[in-house]
Amino acid sequence: MISSRRNQIIAQVFLFAMAVLWMLPILGMIISSFRPYAETSTDPNGFFSWPDTLTLDNFRNAWARGNMPRHWFVTFLVVIPAVILVLFFSSMVAFAVSRYSWKFNIALLMLFTAGNLLPPQSIIQPLFQIYNRIPIPEFAPYSNSGELRGSLIGLILIHVAFQSGFCTFVLSNYMKTLPKELNEAAMVDGASLWRQYWQIVMPLTRPALGALATLEFAWIYNDYFWAVVLVQKGNDLPITSSLRNLSGEFFTDDNLVAAGSLIVVIPTILIYLALRRQFISGLSVGASKG
Amino acid sequence: MSNSYPQPGAWDAYVARRSVIKGGAAVGAFAVGGSVLAACGGSDSFSGEIGSASGTLNIGSNASDPAPQAGLQAVVNAFPNADVDVVINTLDHNTYQENITTILQAQDDDVLAWFAGFRNKFFADQGLVGDISDVWENITGLGEGFKAASTASDGNQYFVPTSFYTWAINYSKKLWGENGYTEPTTSDELIGLAEQMMSDGVTPFAFANDGKWPIMGTFDALNLRLNGYDFHVDLMGGNGSWTDDRVRNVFTTWESLLPFHQEGANGRTWQEAATDVEEGRAGMYLLGTFAASNSEAFAADMDFFNVPEFDSAIGAGALDAPIDGFQMVASPTNEAAAKEMLLHMSTPLAQDAYLSEDPSVVASNSGANTSVYNDLQKKSSELASAATGISQFLDRDTIPDFAGACGDMFAEFIENPGGVDGMLADLEEKKVAIFADFNAG
Repeated sequence: MISSRRNQIIAQVFLFAMAVLWMLPILGMIISSFRPYAETSTDPNGFFSWPDTLTLDNFRNAWARGNMPRHWFVTFLVVIPAVILVLFFSSMVAFAVSRYSWKFNIALLMLFTAGNLLPPQSIIQPLFQIYNRIPIPEFAPYSNSGELRGSLIGLILIHVAFQSGFCTFVLSNYMKTLPKELNEAAMVDGASLWRQYWQIVMPLTRPALGALATLEFAWIYNDYFWAVVLVQKGNDLPITSSLRNLSGEFFTDDNLVAAGSLIVVIPTILIYLALRRQFISGLSVGASKG
Repeated sequence: MSNSYPQPGAWDAYVARRSVIKGGAAVGAFAVGGSVLAACGGSDSFSGEIGSASGTLNIGSNASDPAPQAGLQAVVNAFPNADVDVVINTLDHNTYQENITTILQAQDDDVLAWFAGFRNKFFADQGLVGDISDVWENITGLGEGFKAASTASDGNQYFVPTSFYTWAINYSKKLWGENGYTEPTTSDELIGLAEQMMSDGVTPFAFANDGKWPIMGTFDALNLRLNGYDFHVDLMGGNGSWTDDRVRNVFTTWESLLPFHQEGANGRTWQEAATDVEEGRAGMYLLGTFAASNSEAFAADMDFFNVPEFDSAIGAGALDAPIDGFQMVASPTNEAAAKEMLLHMSTPLAQDAYLSEDPSVVASNSGANTSVYNDLQKKSSELASAATGISQFLDRDTIPDFAGACGDMFAEFIENPGGVDGMLADLEEKKVAIFADFNAG
C-alpha cells in the first residue's frame, strides 16, 4: 500500500516535470508572439529577457502578410474532402475484410498497414513525376497548369492514399467487434450488401469514425511535406505550409512567425477541446482487439 | 549623376565564353523576331506596347519581406492596362530559390521574380525560360550592362532587371565619429584601422555565417581584390582550379584577417552581427546594403565604403552587386500580358513605384527618379556606376549545387583555417563532378 502510494507520487512528479518541459517552448512561443522584434533582438538576454511591451501587432501582421484568410480557404478545400473520402473508402475496405472471409484478407490488410509504414519522402520523386504526367481537366477548380501536380485535387488524392492505410486498419478492427449476427439477420431480411454496409454497420461504427475524423483532420491540417513539394503556386498553399511565407530574404522575424503559428494552431486546438473524448479514444480505438 | 548600371566589358567576354562552352549552336535563333512569337492563350499577341493584352496574369514572387512585397504590389497597381487581372503568388525567398526548378517546370505562373546573370542563363539555356527579345526591343533606359546580364548563350534576352544593391563594408557613423576612424583605401590602411580598433577594445570585423551564405561575400571581395574580376568570374564558371596558388592566396589572406573577425561566426545570424556594429561592439561589417534593414536606428547611422585595394595592379573596381528582376516562363498561359508586364517593370514608372515602398535598393532604369534616393542609395548607385566589374554574389554566379559546396567549405575553413589545403582539394573534386554533370545535362 505504502509503496504503491510512493510510486504514485513519483509518477505524479515525473508527469508534472514532463508537462513543464513540454510546456516551456510553447509558453516561450506564446510570450514572444506578443513582443516586438526590436525588444527581443536588442536585449542581451534575447528571448529569455523579461517583456517590456506586449502588443498584438505580430498577430495583425501575420494575418495580413501571411494572407491567412485565403490560405485557410484553400486548407478547408483540401482537408474536408480528404477526410470524407478517406473515411468513405477505408470503411468500405474495412467492411469487406471484416465481414467476409476471403483468401486475400490478411494480405490486403498487411498491404494497407505496410503502406502506412512507408516514409512519404521515399516515394516523392516518382510520385512527382507521375503527377507531372497526369492531366486533369481545366474546369477542375485550382487545376493550375492542368496536371495533377500543383492542383488541389492532387493534394487531396495523396492524403487519401496515405491516410487510408491507418483508417482501414483501425476501422476493420472496430468492425470485427460488431456481432456478425447483425449482418446475418439483415441478410435474412433481404438487405442488400450496400444496405448492410450503409445502414447496419456504418451507424454502429460511428464512434470510431468520429475519433478518426478528428485525428485525420488534425493530421491533414498539419501536413507540411506534401503541400510544400506538390504545390508551386504561393497562393494555393494550405495554411500550415504557407507559414514559411512569413520569413524574408535576409531576415525572419521569429516573433512574427510565433504569432502566425499560434493563429494556425487555433482550429486544431478548438477541435481537440470540443472533441477531446473522441480524440483520445481515437488514439486507442481498435487497439484492444487485433 | 547616372544611376545606370556600369558596363563591364568582362560581362560580354564572360557571356561569349559561356556561349563557346555550350557550343554556341543557337546563333540562328537570333533571327526569331517578335512577330513569330504568337500568344498561346489569354489575349492577343504582344504588340510592343502596353494596352492590348487582357485576361489573368500570374506573377510568381519571392518578395516575402514586407517592403518588397508592398513594392511589387505598387508596381502592379501602376500597370497601365486595366484589362489584365494580376495575381501575385508569393513564396518565401529561400524556398522559392531552392524550388525554382520545379516552379519553372510547373509553369503555373507567367512571370517569375528571379536573378540576373548566371542564374537566369542557367535556366534559359535549359529552355525553361521564355525568350523576351521582343520586349527588349521596346525597352529604353537600361544600359548595355543590364542587357548583357539578361542575355543567355543564344544571344537572346530572357530577363528584365529592375533593381540592384551593393556589397560593401558597413559601419556606424556614430562609433567612427567618436573614435576618429577614417575610411581606408588600401589593405594596409584597413589592417592599420583594424589594429587601432583592437586597441580601442572594438572587434574590427563583425562576422556571421548562419545559413552558410553571408561569408561568401568575404570570399568574393578578397578574390576580386587579389585576383581580379575575370579570374573570379572564370572560377565561378567552373574554369579555374581551386587548388591554384592564386585561390590559395585568397585563403592565406583571409586567414591572416581572421583574428580581426568575431569568433563563432557559423552560429551567428547577420542580424546579430549588424546589431553588434550598431551598438559599437564591432567596427565594420562586410555585407550587402540590406544591413540597414536591421533597425531604423541603424539605417540612419549606417554608412559604408568599398572594399579597399589589396593589389595596385588589380585595383578596387570590382564588386558584388546582385541584380533582381523578372523572367517569363517558357510557355506562359498569357504571353501577351506577361510581356506587357515585363515591359512595364523596366520603366521608370514601375521602378519609382517600387522604390517608394522599398528604398533599400537602386533602380535599374536610368530614367528613374534619383532625387528621392537616401544617402545609402546614392552611394550604392555611385559605387556601382564607378565599378569596373560587377559580380552577382557567389550563390548567384555559379551552379546552385556548387555554391552549396563552397558554402560548406567556407564554413569549415573559418573553424579550422589550418586544414585549408585538404578542403580546397576536396572542393576542386566536387567542382569537377558538379560541372561535369551540368555540362552533360
